[in-house]
Amino acid sequence: MIGDAFVFDCVAHVFNFDKSNAVGPPGEMFSNHLYAFHAVLTPSGETVLPPESFLRNWRPAEIDEMVFGQSDTDMLVAMPLPLTDLYQDGLSAWERCVELASLRPDRTVFWGSVNPLEGKRALDLMERQVKEFGAKAFKFYNVRYDYGEPYPWRMDDPKVAFPVFEKARELGVKLIGVHKGVPLGPQPIEHTQTWDMDGAAAAFPDLNFVIFHVGLPFIDEVCWQLIRYPNLYASIAATINFIVRAPRQFAETLGKLLFWCGEDKIIYGSEAPIFNPQWALKAFWEFEIPKDLQEGYGYPPLTEQGKRKILGENLLRLHGMDVAKAKATVAAT
Amino acid sequence: MDDPTKTAFDALDTVFDPCCRERGISIVDMGLVASLQVRHGQASVELVLTSGWCPFAARVMGEVKEKLEALPDIQRADVHVVWDRPWTMDRLSLSARTKLRFLPDPIEVGDRQSYVAGHVRTGPAPDHSNAVEEETA
Repeated sequence: MIGDAFVFDCVAHVFNFDKSNAVGPPGEMFSNHLYAFHAVLTPSGETVLPPESFLRNWRPAEIDEMVFGQSDTDMLVAMPLPLTDLYQDGLSAWERCVELASLRPDRTVFWGSVNPLEGKRALDLMERQVKEFGAKAFKFYNVRYDYGEPYPWRMDDPKVAFPVFEKARELGVKLIGVHKGVPLGPQPIEHTQTWDMDGAAAAFPDLNFVIFHVGLPFIDEVCWQLIRYPNLYASIAATINFIVRAPRQFAETLGKLLFWCGEDKIIYGSEAPIFNPQWALKAFWEFEIPKDLQEGYGYPPLTEQGKRKILGENLLRLHGMDVAKAKATVAAT
Repeated sequence: MDDPTKTAFDALDTVFDPCCRERGISIVDMGLVASLQVRHGQASVELVLTSGWCPFAARVMGEVKEKLEALPDIQRADVHVVWDRPWTMDRLSLSARTKLRFLPDPIEVGDRQSYVAGHVRTGPAPDHSNAVEEETA
């Protein structure tokens, strides 16, 4: 807890940056890209790891220690990366995320992830991830490099995306995340945009979709979609890490979300271990939308109630969890 | 004789960040050019990025260098990213602002509910279920 806020972090990855894991130069470039995030956005006074300490095979126990031992986080999502086009094991192998979740089964939730382009194999893996390993949601990455070329798919594609959504529904999973905005390397930009989310949200009104990274830089588009679809949400994972280096930029992004979409639609995430969660959590708990943005542009204030919802209560609700029970569980462990 | 700095600036206006190329917004319109100096055939450009995330920075920097060094008055161009100045919306040109931002500032909206109600298309949600069949028919 930070202050009186329950913190439920929607994303940490068990990265394997070992050079042998990268598939050629694109994989190595992406590893360096993530290191640049770490080095550029970590504030002065905080630990910036040298490349050799960051670009390595992280162990689940290290992620667990960083999130729970070194920050005020109460619950965590262990998030796989199925980037098998860039890394032998996808970069954050789902099996290792299961291992991370198993370290604190009451506090770490496993989300599954598959490549929908694999058809039946993907559907079978979804079933296994839910039935054998307790996946509570799925995360998808629709911009890929399969066959050595960019190979994007769309979230509103009835032949590629809808079968995995139907499978999730059949398995009783009602929460779907999707990486948007932030290109994973030099990828076709149009598929990092969010326009395909209209079709997904409209066709599956009983599923909730979280647009990760608030689709930056396409924030106006994301706001307009969240306004129109009650089952669309936005995660500020990685976006929150601008809070110290570029607070004005973060204030504008968050202010837009608060005004247009409201505090019930915004989800916190740390992206550990790219960033140690604590500095951004502390900065967020102390953060205010600047007065001139409120008075001059009409942005709403960020209240303590809003912070509590964003930091944990919204994600608990999306998992069907009760705040008081979650607090009690964490206190007991 | 043309002013070499103006010629260089015009050349930068033909360089695009991939995120904005399809909308015809150059790096000048985006406000990415923090400074430009041309002296004795040497150009020096400082760029400010919209985001530390941008994986296209190297590509944009390379294109800036190529475009400038292709000019007859410039033999060498040095391109740097500056990190001590944040990019803000204020740096957008009026045309870029119009193309990129379709939501007004909240203060211009008045009552949010009324604004949304007045701008949301009525009727059923778009049906994409036959999209593939229509494309392949």
